[in-house]
Amino acid sequence: MASAYNPIYTDVPEKDVFALHFLQTLSNLRTQNSFSSPDNKTSDRVKKIKKAAYVSMARAAGGTNRLWSRSLLHQAAKRNNKNVRFLRRKRRVTWLMRRRSNRGDPIEDVAAERLRNLVPGGGGMETSKLMEETAHYIKCLSMQVKVMQCLVDGLSPK
Amino acid sequence: MDLSVLERVKWLQQQQMVSPEFFEILGSDGREELKRVESYLGNNNDEWQSFRHYETIDGCISRTSSFQMEQVKNNEENRATALQHKRKIEGKTEKIENKKNKKIKTEDETESSMKGKSNMSNSETSSEIQKRDYIHVRARRGEATDRHSLAERARREKLSKKMKCLQDIVPGCNKVTGKAGMLDEIINYVQSLQQQVEFLSMKLSVLNPELEYHINELSTKQFQACFTDLPEAVSKQSMMVDASSFPLQHQESLDYSVINSIQTTTLGSKDQTPSGWEIHSQSLYNNLRTDSDSSFFSLK
Repeated sequence: MASAYNPIYTDVPEKDVFALHFLQTLSNLRTQNSFSSPDNKTSDRVKKIKKAAYVSMARAAGGTNRLWSRSLLHQAAKRNNKNVRFLRRKRRVTWLMRRRSNRGDPIEDVAAERLRNLVPGGGGMETSKLMEETAHYIKCLSMQVKVMQCLVDGLSPK
Repeated sequence: MDLSVLERVKWLQQQQMVSPEFFEILGSDGREELKRVESYLGNNNDEWQSFRHYETIDGCISRTSSFQMEQVKNNEENRATALQHKRKIEGKTEKIENKKNKKIKTEDETESSMKGKSNMSNSETSSEIQKRDYIHVRARRGEATDRHSLAERARREKLSKKMKCLQDIVPGCNKVTGKAGMLDEIINYVQSLQQQVEFLSMKLSVLNPELEYHINELSTKQFQACFTDLPEAVSKQSMMVDASSFPLQHQESLDYSVINSIQTTTLGSKDQTPSGWEIHSQSLYNNLRTDSDSSFFSLK
């Protein structure tokens, strides 16, 4: 990537880190699935792969150092019924939402709401923080897409 | 001159922005320095150097209401002792701001820093220079200078700075101007990326219908496809013996045991394939196979 002046820290690891994490998560999926029924529906499979992709992306991008990746991992862990400390986040969310409702441009708020729904963990962030997280999220997403594209190209019969 | 200044001080005290110590501090020394400030405003460049002394002044009224956005690269002391709070300050000489901006900046900084110090509980420690991160907002001519609008303006400028960064990342954002349009573009981009992820995962599930991502069955080709982005130096023949040149550049995301096991398997690998790629992919296979039970796989 071009080294443009970016005051916000949005560096993202190289592609191979993402690739490694993704493959590891996929192989982990396989070991988990050996106990379940073999004839899965396509949608279930797709969902599993998608979830694996997101989780691996979150881990590759910095684990719990980033807000969006942290919330992604929490969501995933919650679905696996693992113990998650959610309470603190909830309280923080309500406080921030109260603070946010006091100010805010009506023009940018509508779009900011949509962005918050898209970016994981966006509900508890101020708009400026949301922008930072979006930038990092976009970079990681594009990296993950590249990795998956490579994998698909490698696996597809020639 | 001093009288008007004193009046303003009293007004400020009514606004409860100035501590009662302020008046004591505004002794004879303060007034002299005040005169220098006034003369500076009247003249121009000659009093430049007198700013260095200003950090010792504890009482001065700022005539302008400016707080800068970026830090002025002038006297370091002024910068270090600048304010963090935004206050309502009546500006009589706002028009001077538009001329000679640089000098006014430092002057404002010093003045506002002096005001800030006067408001601090220990004003004797004003000579201590501490490096802090301040939000500087510059009030332009004709704009409201009260606290809330200053804060609002600071927030908006912070936001616009971040939007500019986003603009560099999202392709096609340059043509659209305005916050709303850019935000829409960004939202569309994020949505398209997420759709791509979903689409690719569908493709992957089709290609591997039984979800067999068993590492042994993945071919070397697939690994190479993933790792084609690595620099050319990595794929040299010398990689076969060079165990330390593991390609991952951001190794903090990996468990170090992983790296060690990879190194050992690379050394012990008996493959005679010519390209260094295959060695590495083989070592990665072994590593992933052996590590399948480790906690490294679990969701942290």
